[in-house]
Amino acid sequence: MGAAEAAGSALLTGVAGWLFVGFALLILGTAIAVVWSKNPVHSALFLLASFLLVACVFILEEAEFVGAVQILVYAGGIMVLFLFVIMLVHQRTAAGTPAFQHQWDIALLLLPVFLIPFLYILGTEKFTDIARNPDAFRAVAGRVIGNTEAVSWLMFRDYLLPFEVASVFLLVAMIGAVVLGKRSFEKVD
Amino acid sequence: MKVQATDWLLLSPELFLTAAGMILLASSVFVGKAKEELFGFLSVLMLGITGVLLVFVSTMPERAHGPILGGMFVVDNFALFFKFLVLLAMVLTVLASVRFVGEAPYPGGEYYALVVFSGVGMFFMASGSNLISIYVALELMALASYVLAGYFKGEIKSTEAALKYFILGAFSSAVLLYGLSLVYGLGGKMGLADLARLYTGTQRTNAIALGILMILAGLLFKIAAVPFHLWTPDVYEGSPTPVTAFFSVGPKVAAYAIFARIFYVAFPKFQADWGLIVALVAAATMIWGNLAALLQTNVKRMFAYSSIAHAGYALLGVLGFQTKFGMWGVLVYLLAYTLMNFGAFALIIFLEAKGYAAESVSDFDGLAKRNMPAAVVMLLFLLSLAGIPPTAGFIGKYYLFTAAMDAGYAWLAIIAVLASAVSLFYYFRIAAAMFFTDGVSAKIPVSYALTAAVIICAVGTLVIGVAPESVLDVLHRCVPSKY
Amino acid sequence: MKDLLWLVPLFPLAGFLVNGVLYLISHRTRGEAADAHGSQGAPALAAAPAPSVHGENPAHTHAGSSAHDPAGHSPIPLKTAHTVVGTVSVGLSCVFAFLAILDVGIGRLSEGAAHVVTLYRWLPLGVNQAVGQVHGPAGEWFVDAAFRLDSLSALMIAFVTFVGFLIHVYSVGYMGHEEGYGRYFAYLNLFMFSMLLLVLGANFLLLFVGWEGVGLCSYLLIGYFYDRDAAADAGKKAFVVNRIGDFGFILGIFGIFSLFGSLDFGKVFPAAAAHPSAYAPYLTLVCLCLFVGACGKSAQFPLYVWLPDAMAGPTPVSALIHAATMVTAGVYMVARCNVLFRLSPDALLVVAVVGGFTALFAATIGVAQNDIKKVLAYSTVSQLGYMFLACGVGAFVAGMFHVMTHAFFKACLFLGSGSVIHALGGEQDIRKMGGLASKIPVTYRTFLVATLAIAGVPLLAGFFSKDAILAAAFEAHFASAPWLGRVLWAAALFTAGLTAFYMLRLVSLTFWGKFRGGTEQEAQIHESPRSMTVPLIVLAFLSVVGGYVGIPMVRGGDRIGEFLHPILLPLAGAGAHTAAHEAAASTEALLMAASVAAAAIGLALAYVWYAKGEGAVPARIAARFPGVYRAVSNKYYVDEAYDSVFVQGLAKGGGRFLWDFDATVVDGAVNGTRHVTVGLSWLSSFFDQYVVDGLVNGVANTLQAGFRGFRRAQTGRVQNYALVMGGGLFCLVAVYLLFR
Repeated sequence: MGAAEAAGSALLTGVAGWLFVGFALLILGTAIAVVWSKNPVHSALFLLASFLLVACVFILEEAEFVGAVQILVYAGGIMVLFLFVIMLVHQRTAAGTPAFQHQWDIALLLLPVFLIPFLYILGTEKFTDIARNPDAFRAVAGRVIGNTEAVSWLMFRDYLLPFEVASVFLLVAMIGAVVLGKRSFEKVD
Repeated sequence: MKVQATDWLLLSPELFLTAAGMILLASSVFVGKAKEELFGFLSVLMLGITGVLLVFVSTMPERAHGPILGGMFVVDNFALFFKFLVLLAMVLTVLASVRFVGEAPYPGGEYYALVVFSGVGMFFMASGSNLISIYVALELMALASYVLAGYFKGEIKSTEAALKYFILGAFSSAVLLYGLSLVYGLGGKMGLADLARLYTGTQRTNAIALGILMILAGLLFKIAAVPFHLWTPDVYEGSPTPVTAFFSVGPKVAAYAIFARIFYVAFPKFQADWGLIVALVAAATMIWGNLAALLQTNVKRMFAYSSIAHAGYALLGVLGFQTKFGMWGVLVYLLAYTLMNFGAFALIIFLEAKGYAAESVSDFDGLAKRNMPAAVVMLLFLLSLAGIPPTAGFIGKYYLFTAAMDAGYAWLAIIAVLASAVSLFYYFRIAAAMFFTDGVSAKIPVSYALTAAVIICAVGTLVIGVAPESVLDVLHRCVPSKY
Repeated sequence: MKDLLWLVPLFPLAGFLVNGVLYLISHRTRGEAADAHGSQGAPALAAAPAPSVHGENPAHTHAGSSAHDPAGHSPIPLKTAHTVVGTVSVGLSCVFAFLAILDVGIGRLSEGAAHVVTLYRWLPLGVNQAVGQVHGPAGEWFVDAAFRLDSLSALMIAFVTFVGFLIHVYSVGYMGHEEGYGRYFAYLNLFMFSMLLLVLGANFLLLFVGWEGVGLCSYLLIGYFYDRDAAADAGKKAFVVNRIGDFGFILGIFGIFSLFGSLDFGKVFPAAAAHPSAYAPYLTLVCLCLFVGACGKSAQFPLYVWLPDAMAGPTPVSALIHAATMVTAGVYMVARCNVLFRLSPDALLVVAVVGGFTALFAATIGVAQNDIKKVLAYSTVSQLGYMFLACGVGAFVAGMFHVMTHAFFKACLFLGSGSVIHALGGEQDIRKMGGLASKIPVTYRTFLVATLAIAGVPLLAGFFSKDAILAAAFEAHFASAPWLGRVLWAAALFTAGLTAFYMLRLVSLTFWGKFRGGTEQEAQIHESPRSMTVPLIVLAFLSVVGGYVGIPMVRGGDRIGEFLHPILLPLAGAGAHTAAHEAAASTEALLMAASVAAAAIGLALAYVWYAKGEGAVPARIAARFPGVYRAVSNKYYVDEAYDSVFVQGLAKGGGRFLWDFDATVVDGAVNGTRHVTVGLSWLSSFFDQYVVDGLVNGVANTLQAGFRGFRRAQTGRVQNYALVMGGGLFCLVAVYLLFR
């Protein structure tokens, strides 16, 4: 972890570089497959694969904690819930509808056009003179610490306020789910 | 980072408001539907206490020390102004909702709790001095809004509104987040003041500009500026009307708070990059909003477009933020807009009482004969929205247009004047329907809570128009500090 | 007393508030009572208002008594209270206006004294910051709620309050039987307040508040009889057209603010007069913007169309708002800004040409109108054109002089026409009148006096003011077009003749000859009550003597010129090229003779053709030149063209576009004209075929296509919205890349 600076600069060279490219292409491919496949179960499985691959990229970037969280929360928790829901609702209703609405041809045509300015900027930009100052990799109190510990320092000290606001956010999400999902339209007495 | 005891005092309004939301939620278990009005009074009480806390906070000298909690949260005059404004919007919403929600077959406790939680998000937005705290607060506000839009789930329009709002809101959030990540990734900083120090203007690069533009796009969605406005008419039409009234002021005002703060504090040096774009967006917003409003027959859609146009006017102040009137004008206008727009919506709600829905303009037919005071007050709001003196809307527009002229956007000021001249045509359709047409003579039941909301709005609109000096002086001290 | 100047507008405001509250209370009580007891609402009426009326108001005692008064069997609740509040408030305002003027002193006013009463600071604008291109007054910026009494505003408040008071008194009789009597007086009081605010305001912003206020009242009062479609439509039209004017006006105000850094009359005009060369380059644009505003409010071409339609309002309203006071606000504003206009010869030229053209144009239309109020309306437009012509040739004093005399005789004419309409039970078509002279003698005599005054018969009020304008036009020198002064003079002279002609035509068709209506109607003709005739007599008297404040050629005779002279601030370092030149006495005598001759010819022709010849000659002329006649009697189809282009075109395109306009009315009107005119005259058919049709089809189709695309944008599909948003982001970045 102490060699974070060096590792970061050498990221796209050697085996790690090829691995990154491979993972990135796979993520793209699975993501497209999520949208493409007509069977929702297949979509969910592709999404699961995509999440796992993203976790791989995190680990490759030496962000082990985030990688682990990615697997635990997204792949493990949320996706399983997704699959449950998909299997519980009547699958037939979803299977009949086309994967794309009639506008897909226009979208395909416009996509490259829309991408031009973004690609131009990101392609012509020189990123060398930008300060590399990632908060996540640093020494605390003169002692080099691990990734997980650094994340916890950030989350519960520096970014405590957003963290707590996010907890209210989750509460609201829960209320919303209950309010909208409750079967009865009648008032509860 | 050191947390001091006074930091918690500075946070007390937010903490209390969060607690209030939970109290409302918990009390809904004990209160039956027959006594649902209690929620309204309870909410107003809670909001009143929050107001007292805000006043208390405003007297604390510790505010001047800058952002607290690791640079996440700042309590300057600017933040306090927006908190008071959001609080006003919430109080008005609650007052306007009491009968409307009481008559609808949906539970009331969660409704008020969601309004309050949405307000919590807005409070944090107003005080946000770091991109991440701003973003989380924005999402909190938005999520509560999505649920509120779909609160009347038995009505297909309401559900449709919620769905559209959610999908497009998520889309815009993605754009915003991508912009934030670009800005962060290129500089490694999230604090607005840090960003201002980092980007002094000498190292303007395309990539940073791209990040800023994507942040801009995300925020333009929230304030409903062209071309990111398309969700507005559908959502405004489909949502329960008090919620629409809330949307038209609350989230918009809060979005303007972070918009102004981000571009005023963090990226002022980039005005060469975003100035022209914001000017073009403002022009398009004013023109499109007003022209499209002309075509509407549904009152809620008409006011949706009207609110789009008003967002365009306020952009003039953001453009002229370096001049004396820029930020001042934005504050004046948002205050005026909150009062007059909510007032107009309150009268729509007034007519939308059981058995008589104000959906189309013709529902205003002969209002002058049925209820002259209501018609007169509505006329006041319409005149104010159109910017006719001596009303609050005129004062606000005067400051904004002057700011645009001073900042060298004379062409934009001319478009703005022209656009507000056009706006009178559709406001005027309602006035003509009220005064020059005969309608059915149905009795309109009076709700005291709603009447109180209307009176607050009317008095405010008139006072700011006729004798605004003290209010304007206070607002002049509320331009954001450079944190 | 002069420090109580703020009471002058305050009284009508108080009147408005009291009348409004009384009306609301009685209205609601009556509604509830009607619900409860059927038609027996009277007891509730009597009880309700008493506790809520404020004790300090004199109307208090009347509020109770009127409802209890057994003689007052009128169905209008609180009628006496409304009457007293409405008229007394304006009367007090008039008294205080004259007291304030006398307190400052007429002599001191004519020496340039200006008394400013500041009520409170309205808009704080912070500390000055270098913004304008040219030097403005430094220091703190602010706009005060302040009233300014100088010679110009003194003249205005004097006649506005006085004529206003007379018309309020007249309204008591005229509106006595109308539903919503209280509402009427509330609106009328609000109008007086706004008008006084407009006139007394010490800065452009307060002027603008009054400007919008009178517009709103005008609109509410035009649409007063809103159960008649024409009235509601006319109200809308007035509002719409005035918006165009206001657009220009507010741009002009912004321009002045960014040039001078102030909106205060007391700062802007001296600054402009002191540094003409610094400001002059920017002033043409500012003045033209202001003039657009004046055109809208004062009904000048091409924005005059609302005024004739505005006659759908009650006749006292036409007299007060659409003849005597509000429509002269534009002239007042231009005269107020004379320093700015004088610095911009180009703007003055535009003002003169528009004014001259409108005067002639409206007068020709007036010749062929058959509605008594429409004739007077076009006459008003024409006379307003005269006033602008005066301003345009630099004779601002003459313009204001004509504003005053016009207020007297035109108010008298309108009130007289109201009396005629009242006598005939609502008839307005002069072809169905005639022979009324003996039946309503007071109305007839006052009407005749006012007619002779407007026609320019020597020694009556109109003669002096009109003559001053004609002389000024004759002497005007425009650097860019030296011949223009004479052309304008010729046009004005011809207009004078036309005015005399159509006014005497109106008199002869209305009052002379035999009655052409039904016999039942004839039996019911009656003279109006005292409350209506007394104002008529007073106004007729003023129409006779009102001009003697401005006698030309006599030393010391031009008292109004001396009185108003201070408003013409001397420009630094300039030989004031546009100031009115003093004509030689012989020239002036000749000019006077010419105008008298024009009036005489006009009067004589009208007398011979209509009083003696029973209209045979004009009928022959109309038959001979059908195209011309049709064009004139249809007001040159301007309304139709506007309707087709702006109203129907947009309405077709956007569904229920500007408002719920009944397209069939316009269709019917346009088609009807077309069928009749086919083959008659090349002029009208040419007009129909190429102008009206072309405009209708072309513009409507274009707009329609445009709006279809516009509507499709809002399809309701989430995917499309997302696509547009993505495209928007693309555009943002693309604009950045292209223009960075």
